[in-house]
Amino acid sequence: MSKIVDARGLACPQPVILTGKALKESDTVMVIVDDETPKDNVSRIATRKGYNVKVEEKDGDFYIHIQKKNTVSEEVVASPIPAPEGDLVVLISSNTVGRGSDELGEILMRAFMHTFMEVEPKPQTMIFINSGVKLAIEDSIVLEDLQALAGEEIQILVCGTCLDYFKLKDKVAVGEVSNAYTILETLLQAGKVVRL
Amino acid sequence: MQKPTYGVVLFHSTQTAIKAEKILKGAGIQIKLIPVPRQLSSDCGICLRFEFDDAQMIESTLVSKGVQIAGVYPL
Repeated sequence: MSKIVDARGLACPQPVILTGKALKESDTVMVIVDDETPKDNVSRIATRKGYNVKVEEKDGDFYIHIQKKNTVSEEVVASPIPAPEGDLVVLISSNTVGRGSDELGEILMRAFMHTFMEVEPKPQTMIFINSGVKLAIEDSIVLEDLQALAGEEIQILVCGTCLDYFKLKDKVAVGEVSNAYTILETLLQAGKVVRL
Repeated sequence: MQKPTYGVVLFHSTQTAIKAEKILKGAGIQIKLIPVPRQLSSDCGICLRFEFDDAQMIESTLVSKGVQIAGVYPL
């Protein structure tokens, strides 16, 4: 049985939530929205979940036809990403993410650190240098997340020189204080280094 | 159905989420700023996670300060 979701006039993320609910109940769903943003969001999420998606425009409304693909193509979508050879190392060289706004950069850092626990693959090591060391101290904005990551056997290396520079050496609350040798060896031996 | 441990409150903008965080922290309510969970949306940015028992207090605190809420969902 096909289901119809009329999401006209609803703000993000309502159309996506309603679509997700309908797809749990039926393999074929038609979603009606009246704006480009929900049209794109609903289409993209359904495509990512492995559904066939077709959009029709009629009188300013978008009719999104979502249909389950056969099982073979679903398996292709669900195939796991092969792990790279060697360790996965994350290098964090600032207490904020990106450039432009430090306020936003701090928000992004908190969002990313929370999300590390929820996505795969997990890194083997996370290295904190320069102002990045401020994330590993007692009153860090992401201490709870780093402690959870350390609990998952992820090695956390905190640059000793940097702690010393910021006079935070006695404030370290997670991970181990490390030096240029260990940090550089870890980076050089890594299979992949991701910089945040 | 088991009661959810956490809920999330969503906003229409990042700036509003930042403002709401300040207000709720000031009111001594335990919250955590996290990305909007994937099942809710992929584009609406950040939201605040709270302990589900605090749901009503959070809504009333934000409403009393004139903060617009885009939605409150159990996690």
